[in-house]
Amino acid sequence: MSETSSEEAGRIARGARDRVHFEEEALALADQVYRVARGVSRSKEEAEDLMQETYARAFRSWESFTPGTNLRAWLLRILTNLNIDRGRRAQRTPDSQPLEEGDYFLYNRLDPTNESDEERILERLSQDHVAEALAAVPHDFRDVLVLVDIGEFSYAEAAQILDIPIGTVMSRLHRGRRILKQQLAELAVEAG
Amino acid sequence: MSEVDPCDWCEEAIQPYLDRDLNETDVEKVKQHLAACSWCEKRFKFESGLRRLVRQAVVEPMDPALKAKLSALRLEL
Repeated sequence: MSETSSEEAGRIARGARDRVHFEEEALALADQVYRVARGVSRSKEEAEDLMQETYARAFRSWESFTPGTNLRAWLLRILTNLNIDRGRRAQRTPDSQPLEEGDYFLYNRLDPTNESDEERILERLSQDHVAEALAAVPHDFRDVLVLVDIGEFSYAEAAQILDIPIGTVMSRLHRGRRILKQQLAELAVEAG
Repeated sequence: MSEVDPCDWCEEAIQPYLDRDLNETDVEKVKQHLAACSWCEKRFKFESGLRRLVRQAVVEPMDPALKAKLSALRLEL
């Protein structure tokens, strides 16, 4: 074997090792990535499809990942981009909605003089209610909310993942929480 | 220029505080205000309860079958 071809073989072997290592690390993060996938999806099935698309793309483009940087953020960048593309296909998310209430306690729409009400309102809400309310938050706002609340990313990390300015992260978060509170308030009233 | 109302300031600050995105000096300021102000303390409890709800909304673990599917997506050697 000539020297160049043995160098070449060594390079290929190293590359294969790096790739296997990358794949194993990515798979070890799957549970954490899934939590975000589930949060930004309307159903379990949608979340599972999104996971498969994300991992298929990640495995194909593993060489564009810079070792030593945040792999979870890199995977979620793929995931949120895929999800945004899907959202665009499926529905046009309204950019602005009339939002006047819901800034403070949920019970802004109920009786604000009832001091102990807000804790009871949170108790009245089940996991399903919250999932339903979250699903009703438009994509752009929900992605930020899920990355910060469920993914526990900082504003700066969320900005990087979604490729938007940090100020946009903060304003979408604010708006997303307002919409979420409105949805929850409505569900809490129904759950009475 | 009029001084900022401490409750207005706190209302703004509890968001990044709960999102782990507030600097230490301001974190101390929020804590001091919360200890002294029952309205803001209630607001704080409510906002943190809301975040807890969101986190708990997504607790179902990933299906083992999905894990196997993801593994199968690995490129062949």
